[in-house]
Amino acid sequence: MTTELQTPELSYEKPLPPVLELTKPFWDGCREGVLQIQFCNICDLPWFPPAEACPRCLQDDWEWRPISGHGTVWSWIRMWQKYFPGWSPDEYPYTVALIKLEEGPYMYSTLVGIEDKDVSCDLAVEVDFRKVDDEITLPVFRPASR
Amino acid sequence: MSSQPDRTDLRNLQDKTAIVGVGTTEFGAIYRDLDPERSAYELGLIAFREALKDAGLKRTEVDGVIVSRLPHYGRMCEMIGLRHPRFVNVLPGEGRQSGIALQYAALAVANGMADVVACIYGNNGRSAGAKYGGESRGISTQAMFEAPYGMTSPGAVTSMMFRRHQYRYGTTTEPLGHLAISNRANAALNPNAVMQRPITMDDYDGARYIAEPLCLLDYCLINDGGVCFIVTSAERARDLKHTPVLIHATSQASDITPVYVADDFWHEPMSQIADDLFAISDAQRDDLAFAQLYDNFTPTMLFTLEGMGFCEPGEGGDWITPERIGLHGELPLNTGGGHTSESYMQGWALHVEAVRQLRQECGERQVDDAQYGLYACAAPLATGHILRRGD
Repeated sequence: MTTELQTPELSYEKPLPPVLELTKPFWDGCREGVLQIQFCNICDLPWFPPAEACPRCLQDDWEWRPISGHGTVWSWIRMWQKYFPGWSPDEYPYTVALIKLEEGPYMYSTLVGIEDKDVSCDLAVEVDFRKVDDEITLPVFRPASR
Repeated sequence: MSSQPDRTDLRNLQDKTAIVGVGTTEFGAIYRDLDPERSAYELGLIAFREALKDAGLKRTEVDGVIVSRLPHYGRMCEMIGLRHPRFVNVLPGEGRQSGIALQYAALAVANGMADVVACIYGNNGRSAGAKYGGESRGISTQAMFEAPYGMTSPGAVTSMMFRRHQYRYGTTTEPLGHLAISNRANAALNPNAVMQRPITMDDYDGARYIAEPLCLLDYCLINDGGVCFIVTSAERARDLKHTPVLIHATSQASDITPVYVADDFWHEPMSQIADDLFAISDAQRDDLAFAQLYDNFTPTMLFTLEGMGFCEPGEGGDWITPERIGLHGELPLNTGGGHTSESYMQGWALHVEAVRQLRQECGERQVDDAQYGLYACAAPLATGHILRRGD
């Protein structure tokens, strides 16, 4: 399921996320091909991005639970402006999508396995993974198979 | 749910305070004159000096200071020689804060915490090379979960919202073009505006994409400038130089999510603000001589018009016509040229334009019968005011 994003001899210059104690389980999961987010053990609320307590109960009794990996494209853009290093000229414009996860929270990502002309809001998608290095594997989304 | 607060208590602030002085730097002149040594404080200082002169007040009569985008109130107070102000605050440099600065000033004056509050803003973004995108350091949500995908910038999130609006309602980019063209036409009549050359729909359609579907002409400028407005009591305002501009009604609402965007295009906070304003004001939508709508990007104006009930959700695209939004139309918008053409002062210069319109000082771009005017900013933290000519 996990495929190499690029050949290893090329250096990767796109921004990489710092891994914190709080977020490490998220990245550990991605490396294993599992998308997981935090759920409250008291009220079962899921949330993303990671936070130290349930935003409803305000308690720190929570755990990382695997989620379905399914969602829909809430919206998407094509980025033409060069804000970051690491994208080669032939990668512009690149696609960024805002995914509404089946469980409720939203997640920015990108789309794979689809051409821009076929993308639409509310497109059903499922998670896939792209390995960047030994630590980071990024979740991405492709059209849902189910 | 707990019991709802009685929002008509907002009436307590009605017409109690007034903007009595406004000042800005020369936006056009310094746009063409980059200066890496230009500080935000210097720009704030110039604006403060202009606003004091405009109000006919002495520096020593100011006893409250609210600064925004300026990193520290201390340096600003030091530079304007205010050693013992009795009400001081600093707000971050984001556009949502300009309306909030006015609200704090009104609250302070109405409740006796200060007599004269100067709200001061300074922005040296252009000289300092601000890009408003591309941040990837630190441990913010942006750095950890957005930058790895190349997601960045307020324009990109607004573009996400607009694409969703297109999908949901069939909106085209044509109304955005009308907004950009109208802003520019107004700026052409504003000697202080940065961009004065009129644009056409061909220019709009030919502009390069930044975060598609939005293009360069949907975007605010990046320019240097300072703005100041001075607030005092309505009573004291009567003895000052100009016709006071009363803070007639003001409200704040919000929709704070981790991803900035709102599934309803901020309809909920904007409709709440509109309900508040029109419940406590003598004026209704038809009585407004103009609306200064926060336009970091043109779709924000469309969301504001829909949210505040000038048209139904989804109908903004049809509602926005050149005739309706022009200087002599049903609701003139952003009469000074807005953020896309006059100056990107994060809402601050929109307030100044509102004051000058109500004081009928706007020359060729003066709208008719300016008794009431609207300022509104749609964002996760949203504000709106109706300002009234106080004679």
